[in-house]
Amino acid sequence: MKKLWMRALQLGSISAALALPGAAQQYEFGILGGGAFHFDRPVTGAVKGNAGLQPGWTAGGVLAHNSAGRWGGEARYQFQRTGLRASSEGQSISFSGQSHLAHYDVLLYSNSREDAVRPFVAFGGGLKGYQGTGTERAFQQLSNVAILSRVQQWQPMLSFGGGVKWRVGNRLMMRAEIRDFVTPFPKDVIVPSPGNKIGGWLHDITPLFGVSYLF
Amino acid sequence: MERMQKYLTRCGNRARQITRRVMVLGLACSALASAAPFGKVVAIGGQAADLAIDEGRNVLYIANFTANRIEEMSLATGAIRTSINVSSQPSSLALSPDNRYLVIGHYGNFQSAATANNALTVIDLGSRARQTFAMGSPVLGVAFGIDGRALIVTTTDFQLFDPATGATQVLETITGLQAKTLPAANPNAPPSIVAATVAASGDGRSVYGLSDSFRFYYDVERRALRVLGYTSSPTMGPRAVSVSRDGSQFVAGWVLSNRDGVNVAQFGDPNGALDVGSHALDSSRGVLYSQIPTGTGGSLVSGVSGAQAPILQVLDSDNLRVRDRLQLAEHLAGKSVFNQDATVIYAISASGVTILPVGNLEQAPRVASTEQDVIFRGNFCDRRVSGQDIAIVNPGGGAVDFSLSSVTPGLRFSPSSGVTPATVRVSIDPAAFQNLKGTLTAQIEIKSEAAVNLASPIRVLINNREPDQRGSIINVAGKIVDIIADPERDRFYVLRQDTNEVLVFDGSTYSLQARLRTSNTPTQMAITFDRRYMLVGHDNAQIATMYDLETLEQLAPIRFPGGHYPRSIAVSGRSILAATRVAGPIHTIDKVDLVSRTATQLPSLGVYENNIDKSTILVATPNGNRIMAVQATGGLLLYDSTADTFTVSRKESDKLAGAVAASSFDQFVVGNKLLNASLVPIRTLDTSKVQSAGFMFVDQVGFRTSAGESTAAGVIQRVDLPVGQVSRATRMAEAPYLGDTEFPFTRTLAPLYSRNVIVNLTTSGFTVLPWAYDAAVAAPQIQRVVSAADGTENVATGGLVSLLGREMSPVNLATRELPLPTALGDSCLTINGVPTPMMFVSPGQLNAQIPYSIDGNATIVLRTPGGVSDNYNVQIRTTAPTVFRNAVGGTQTVATIVRTKNSELVTLSNPVRRGESLVVYLTGMGRTFPAIEAGIPGPNDPPLRAQIQPKVFIGGKEMGIRFAGLSPGQVGVYQIDAQVPGDTPVGLEIPLVITQDGGSTTVNLRVVD
Repeated sequence: MKKLWMRALQLGSISAALALPGAAQQYEFGILGGGAFHFDRPVTGAVKGNAGLQPGWTAGGVLAHNSAGRWGGEARYQFQRTGLRASSEGQSISFSGQSHLAHYDVLLYSNSREDAVRPFVAFGGGLKGYQGTGTERAFQQLSNVAILSRVQQWQPMLSFGGGVKWRVGNRLMMRAEIRDFVTPFPKDVIVPSPGNKIGGWLHDITPLFGVSYLF
Repeated sequence: MERMQKYLTRCGNRARQITRRVMVLGLACSALASAAPFGKVVAIGGQAADLAIDEGRNVLYIANFTANRIEEMSLATGAIRTSINVSSQPSSLALSPDNRYLVIGHYGNFQSAATANNALTVIDLGSRARQTFAMGSPVLGVAFGIDGRALIVTTTDFQLFDPATGATQVLETITGLQAKTLPAANPNAPPSIVAATVAASGDGRSVYGLSDSFRFYYDVERRALRVLGYTSSPTMGPRAVSVSRDGSQFVAGWVLSNRDGVNVAQFGDPNGALDVGSHALDSSRGVLYSQIPTGTGGSLVSGVSGAQAPILQVLDSDNLRVRDRLQLAEHLAGKSVFNQDATVIYAISASGVTILPVGNLEQAPRVASTEQDVIFRGNFCDRRVSGQDIAIVNPGGGAVDFSLSSVTPGLRFSPSSGVTPATVRVSIDPAAFQNLKGTLTAQIEIKSEAAVNLASPIRVLINNREPDQRGSIINVAGKIVDIIADPERDRFYVLRQDTNEVLVFDGSTYSLQARLRTSNTPTQMAITFDRRYMLVGHDNAQIATMYDLETLEQLAPIRFPGGHYPRSIAVSGRSILAATRVAGPIHTIDKVDLVSRTATQLPSLGVYENNIDKSTILVATPNGNRIMAVQATGGLLLYDSTADTFTVSRKESDKLAGAVAASSFDQFVVGNKLLNASLVPIRTLDTSKVQSAGFMFVDQVGFRTSAGESTAAGVIQRVDLPVGQVSRATRMAEAPYLGDTEFPFTRTLAPLYSRNVIVNLTTSGFTVLPWAYDAAVAAPQIQRVVSAADGTENVATGGLVSLLGREMSPVNLATRELPLPTALGDSCLTINGVPTPMMFVSPGQLNAQIPYSIDGNATIVLRTPGGVSDNYNVQIRTTAPTVFRNAVGGTQTVATIVRTKNSELVTLSNPVRRGESLVVYLTGMGRTFPAIEAGIPGPNDPPLRAQIQPKVFIGGKEMGIRFAGLSPGQVGVYQIDAQVPGDTPVGLEIPLVITQDGGSTTVNLRVVD
């Protein structure tokens, strides 16, 4: 049943695109949303453990331009609701948190903008602001591993990924994509306890779906 | 004829006016003699017998028994507006629920049948029409139920009366009631002549009544009448009934009962006079207002020397705990009624009516001390004049005059008079008490001309002791009469009789954990054999209260047979027995059934009659095998739980008193006698006349306490039971509780479950003795002296220090007493010879405050029962700030610095932010301005600033200081209120440096943006 429905949707979209040849606008403005999945980083030192961000949701907006050829670019803002977390020896703690992502990506398409379905790869960069929003307490569990803090920290960010866009109307376009937003570990927000270290890059794998208005 | 009548009426009115003026003058004179009576007296020129309030018409109807009229008093002004002339001797009144009919009962029971005038008058208050019905018998009382019918109680029957139709219905007849006849002997008053009273609950669903021989309850909705006969001694006076709004409780005479008629509490030592006293029960606020004259308080005739003053007591309505006592202008004399919102009581009194605005009591001028007890602990290393501050206040706020007095020489207070609020310095001259080797109990009386209340006196406990006197005194205010250790939990229970409560104390810290309310005058506690429940007996309630020891909740009480007061309860493995004082010629032992929560009188005590002495005490063996009953008249009884009967009855002497105890090895102690399993004396523990005050068996060892008098040093001895050998006496800090003539037997020793200490009921409260109180003790050793804040050796004048060493105290003891004592436990500390206040002692550590008078090189000496320590030399700086450390999460230790924003400790997870305010808690900031004595908490308004102001830097940036000085309410603890600069560097470990007069201390903080 699910397959039939997907098939119908695809056929409908393609039919609609084919029925509107030549409607190839240069700009698009859209909204998108999806999940955010981070990979915890190991905490080394006096007390070992892991720290990072909890899975969460993300939503944002995009302003893109499409060249006549096979490349384009887009500026995006995304908000993520992802709590902070730390764990050690079977214990774990969390702390409310959120992130703001602002970045610009170059998109390379496999075909031209007149085509109804356009697979693409993307890469770019920007900034990601991590923010702890939980309630501060004098004693936090696992504070001998890492301290989850009510502070904000901006980190440079690299963005990689790919996806596909397809038209569903004269001025409407859908997109599905997956991105990896990579930043240095936010050590002001998730602070390694004295004697501990947390290093490396924090990956944020984000599958996204969106819809855009073309103009 | 008409002229003659007018003349007579004028004469009568004139006579009434003269009478009123004379009485008002008399009241004014009496007001001068007894300051500030509460309430307003309205004289009626006759004797009031009953009251009814009609708020719709703003009138109080007063039955003027002797003047044959109903006075109509304005509720607004208290003036008698009009009087309704009625038939002779209006003795009772009731207003119908719709406020239309006033029904008046007449007690015209004249001796001669020809002149008898027993009647019922109905007045339609709308039309003022009246109807009088002749009655065959004198009317005792009238009350309306919610159904609009009046319950008429006569000397021969109960009738229901419909005021609209005049129809009556006899509910039940009464036989055997002897009605008094008229004319009555003089002087006399209506409550004594009629000798009956009736009152309805506020909701009109219940009517209660009281006469000489019966009480009754009438359920208005079910039209069911229950009549209970009773006997009482003394007579059940005052002859008044007060009913709670929902009818679930009522006070009749001097007894508070529930709907079933169970005596749940009663007034102690009642006089029984029918015509003096009154009460009014405000169930919505849980308050009972009452004047119940006492049997031993003196004459009730006002003009007689030593006569009882008219006092209105404000009591808890469930257990009659006294909250306050108010001076009245004159004796109350019968019924009292509330207005609708229970803010004003109208009470029959000697002149007619007294109006008591109890709703304004909080605003009325009153005087009280903030302290119930003041305790002075003189000791062998502190012979200075010592003083303590108490506050005399008006609980409602405002200025009220007061004066203080005491008959105890050597006890001084300054000022001795003044106006509230005032701080009074109470001081004693140790020289005046240098021969005292125990605790003297003195009192400071508080009086006021303007206050309406009679303030409770302040109890002053003056203790003086020698180095060999053992034990740590813990002050407990009030009258403490029993102590029992929990056999399963680390706590013990103390029975406070004057406030009707069980005090639950922690067995490790000796701190009060909970208060359990009992009924009136609790006498003894007992714990059930399964160790789950506690039972408490009373001298002024016919119930035993019961508590769940796991939850410390009160359970349904155990009801005893009518007239039985369970004074002593003991639990065996098979039965729970209670020795009861019975309102009658024979006192009995009753058996308690926990399941039905009832007790029944045992038909006999085995082959012996169930007839015991009033002051009998029961004591059970810990193994539940036997219960010994000890009678003050010398009789002994033994209950054997295996045989489930009494197996021994002996007469030991003519009089028994003092300690009682029972062991699991079939040995018993009564007074100074050790008894065997047949209650035959096998040894005398003390051949002197000094009676044992406490005895306890622990396995094969006994502990015995005694004292010649309450001001002497107590004595504790260890008794080797198999051989009966009594060890050398060890003197205690004060005397054990010695009981009194009414309760001659005492239980004053409680060995705690942990077997670390023995708790001993003593003059000031209780005294804690280490288990091995008589063991040889080595001399104390001081090994280090460090700051109590951070453990460094930076110590300063006025700072808190920890002395680390060995044998510094035989017990662990912390005190909350303020000012801090200079002798704690058995330890006494001096620095350069100056007694030093201490807050904690233990064998390895002692915490104290360095006196403000000392700096530079100092010598510390500690005295304990083991001897005197070697001199310990230490340098005391004028300032040496050290920040207190605080354990967080069990393992981390952080500086005690609080973020003002969330009042939580600054930690890594709760960091400081730029611009925020912090409070740093520390010690060692030296002298203050103005100066303060060591051991006294810092004042609140204004707080005392440090003489030398510190500077504080964080990350190298100077912080703005708003205050640096003594922390209000704390002894030796200082605080710095400071602000973090906006340009402070951020980081995980930013140094916060406090410098003061060259000294400094540093702690690291996490600072974030």
